[in-house]
Amino acid sequence: MPNERTSLSPLKLIGLAALFISLSLLPFVWSNRFYISLITEIMIYGLLAMSLDVLLGYTGLLSFMHNAYLGIGAYVVGLFLIHVSPTSLWLACLIGIVVTGLIALPVGWIQVRTGGLAFALLTLAFGMMFYTIVWKWYGLTGGDDGLMGVPSPDIQVFGWSVGNAGNPTHMYLLTLFVVAIALVLTRRIIRSPFGAVLEAIRENEERAAFVGIAVRRYKLFGWVLACILAGTSGALFILYKGYIGPTTMSAFAGAGVLMMVLLGGLGTLWGPIIGAGIFIYIQDYISTMTEHWEIFLGLVVIFLVLFMPSGFVGLGNLFKRLRRS
Amino acid sequence: MSGIATAVDITLNSLVLGGVFLIVAVGLNIIYGLSRVMNLAHGSLYAIGAYTGYTIVSLGVNFFAALLLAPVIVGVMGLIIERIVIAPMRKRSMIYTLILTYGLMFFLDGLIKYSWGNEPRFVAIPAFMRETLSIFGTHYPVFRLATLATTAAVMIGLMLFLNKTRIGMILKAASTIPEMVSCLGINMNYVHIGAFILGCSLAGVAGIIAGPLTTIDPLMGHEMLISSFVVIVIGGLGSLRGAVFAALLIGIVQTLAEFFITDLAMVIVYMLMAVILAFMPRGLFGEGKFE
Repeated sequence: MPNERTSLSPLKLIGLAALFISLSLLPFVWSNRFYISLITEIMIYGLLAMSLDVLLGYTGLLSFMHNAYLGIGAYVVGLFLIHVSPTSLWLACLIGIVVTGLIALPVGWIQVRTGGLAFALLTLAFGMMFYTIVWKWYGLTGGDDGLMGVPSPDIQVFGWSVGNAGNPTHMYLLTLFVVAIALVLTRRIIRSPFGAVLEAIRENEERAAFVGIAVRRYKLFGWVLACILAGTSGALFILYKGYIGPTTMSAFAGAGVLMMVLLGGLGTLWGPIIGAGIFIYIQDYISTMTEHWEIFLGLVVIFLVLFMPSGFVGLGNLFKRLRRS
Repeated sequence: MSGIATAVDITLNSLVLGGVFLIVAVGLNIIYGLSRVMNLAHGSLYAIGAYTGYTIVSLGVNFFAALLLAPVIVGVMGLIIERIVIAPMRKRSMIYTLILTYGLMFFLDGLIKYSWGNEPRFVAIPAFMRETLSIFGTHYPVFRLATLATTAAVMIGLMLFLNKTRIGMILKAASTIPEMVSCLGINMNYVHIGAFILGCSLAGVAGIIAGPLTTIDPLMGHEMLISSFVVIVIGGLGSLRGAVFAALLIGIVQTLAEFFITDLAMVIVYMLMAVILAFMPRGLFGEGKFE
């Protein structure tokens, strides 16, 4: 018997498969390097925004600087490629993701003990701590200049080299596959009983505790899951750019990630990926016109919270409801 | 310089730094304690306080007049902000208010950069304050001592206001049982507005006294915001007594850390916070004790 929470209708399944196949054929049909790179960046940030959605939309916990964990993942992968082995891509990614998880664990342990509001404030404080470390530890991270000269390894599948991370088309395909796998896995996790517990905590923490759920432990699981996903996006980020600087980990960049989630819609997983697309496109457009991008970003966040708290996905649902009534 | 002189220097510096943290953190705590709003734009208001102070002084107005004027200007900004964006959020989830004030922070930071640019600014202080005073062999700037005195005056004034005046008593009562206060015929809307203006003015005060201590730059608000978070989380959210203790503690630790290891001083502060919260997750004085 199919599970109602995890299964998709056949029509949707076919649609998604068609979308995936057309996206993977895209670079062979449309050879515009600029847009292929832009879409790669959108997918990487989309994965990060999705990971924040796991935390904010499903667990009800706010992380102001989720980009810090993208940064940690990226720095670890980059450092591994520079200092340990410049060719083993999968090992580097694995180590990057595991280290991100290991750093997120104690941080999360302290954060979940303090309750909802202090949790959010602490994400900002710890995020700033990581930012300061990356910025000031010149010997390891290159400080202000960032981590430069990260080699681009070959992408090997079962011993065969199928491409190189330095090639935009190959990187695009790698990103597409990783993000698709991450999306499917995350959806699976979120729709499992574990995900239902997270949503119960979001809806009413006290009641969840009375029912016998170990609230803190589940919050910690949710946090580590979100950070591991963010670390994955970090691994893709460093492979795609070959460079990372401290600005990627700044509070300002963190607000951007938050805005992607808000634009797309909380608690939908795929919504934030759309949000990332809109955000990066607008950013590319606006920042060429004005240097006061901050004022604009702030105004849009205020507007979204006041008038459109459920994002573009929410607008879609609203139209659906209006049509039905 | 002798050992004692250095020790006196460090002690006074930590008190000055802790004092600035204290005024900012108490402002945050007043708003949180009375309205349950955590204002992330507080650091930006602090920076605006410093910048308006700079502008007023550079227009040729006396520094002391600026000291009174800047908080009023920031308070008025607080009133506008409260009416336009904070008040409509009263019934919404706390997370949305947090995100909203985060957006507000970037908006105000953008405005600061738009109006004053990116270059650091320096406030001209009255000549007699530029002198140094000899205390136990160290030559300590008079201005820093004046800052210390101002901090103390503001805190004592605030304490008297909260404990001795009728309005202060209403505010204190509203932080404990808002329903009861509104049953007694007091409009809670005014309490929220008042708390927000008071908190913002305090950020303005902190801004103008901190301006001459360091340089004024667009990033000063961010650093102060994070430091004051550390202070209020360690002290206990909404706890005024906790804020006093934690502000002094962080002032001392940060000054010492900056004295011994310059670059990663803030990391030590965060580590201290992590250790305290690992053992006392609700802060040293517990959450929501508005006293």
